[in-house]
Amino acid sequence: MSSRCPSELALEEHLARQGAPVDAHLAGCASCQARLLQMRQEGDHFRQFVYPRTLDAVLERSERKRGWRWIWLVAAPALAAAAAVALVVRPGAPAEDYLGTKGGALGFAVFAGGAKGVRAVDDGAQVPAAAALRFRVHPSAACHLWIASLDAAGQISRIYPAEGEGGALVSGTAALPGGAVLDGRQGPERFYAVCTRRPLPFSALEKSVRGAAPGVRTAKTLQGLPEDATQSSVLVEKTP
Amino acid sequence: MTDDQKRVAELYQLHGPAIYRRCLRLLQDREAAQDATQEVFGKLMRDLDRVSQLPEALPWIFRVATNHCLNERRNARRRPTGPLPELELHTAVDAVAYPERQLAQRVLARFDAETQAVALGVLVDGLEHDEVARTLGLSARTVSRKLARFLGNAKKYLLRSES
Repeated sequence: MSSRCPSELALEEHLARQGAPVDAHLAGCASCQARLLQMRQEGDHFRQFVYPRTLDAVLERSERKRGWRWIWLVAAPALAAAAAVALVVRPGAPAEDYLGTKGGALGFAVFAGGAKGVRAVDDGAQVPAAAALRFRVHPSAACHLWIASLDAAGQISRIYPAEGEGGALVSGTAALPGGAVLDGRQGPERFYAVCTRRPLPFSALEKSVRGAAPGVRTAKTLQGLPEDATQSSVLVEKTP
Repeated sequence: MTDDQKRVAELYQLHGPAIYRRCLRLLQDREAAQDATQEVFGKLMRDLDRVSQLPEALPWIFRVATNHCLNERRNARRRPTGPLPELELHTAVDAVAYPERQLAQRVLARFDAETQAVALGVLVDGLEHDEVARTLGLSARTVSRKLARFLGNAKKYLLRSES
């Protein structure tokens, strides 16, 4: 018997395929045999109780993930402070959450949380691939808001509102509740905020976003939206 | 059930036990481990093809579960229910060779995620330095450096808290 007990990972590998290199040690080590027995019992507990209890939630989540690779955060206190933190004014520049509108435009700001705190994201800025984001909008009039994203692979993600149809009714400057976490994949992703006077089906928005797919970096505006729609977009470059 | 759902269910049944065991080991609480298992598998579903590859996927699954549960442990310290029970050390880590380790685990949450993962790999999981390096995608030298820094700083934290 070798003197050193195998690691947890080595024991998992042993359970996954018999005949792994730890067999010789296990044969003569009572404490490892006891640990292995405990691991088997924990595995049985999963199969008997945890698996049946949680399978529905896992399947539901996998269905959601196919069309929506985002995790909407219920509470993110650090990011909830984003708007306040980002009020720092650079000399000669507007505040980072400045959401001025011109004509019928839609003000739209994205904030990213990271190791260095929360910051407003400029169009085309680099953000960590798994960064947590928050959004702020400023429509010129009350309207129905959608936020969706498009990545380099043509994947469209429904960001806000996460549920329901027609878009969320917003007016004035609004920091959107919750937030979203990026999917961890590197590359460009553009976020579109679209506001319409009348409720807009998500399928209609999705169609417009799909039309922008060939050029995520350059497609700043969506085509094919209702005439009264206002829109804005922000590109992020997801980096390791 | 659709074909996609069947595939997800099969993979969950296949990898669920390992994820659950890992989470139970790190969280020491069945309910918390059950919740964490779902969350971890949700993260793994982003790359179903990779999840399907056994045994190559196992170190990756182990790493994702470890990172998630370390975050859970860190977050639990801030919740009204208080911190989770302390981690059990691996039997392969000799008590005389590492006198600091019993105390060091108490300050684990004070360190960055990568250092935590290194300390956890060596002190709790009983991994060799090169195994930790392979699992975390670091060089063996970086693992040794981070572990030495962890033990040194852990000792300082504890001396400070005791005084």
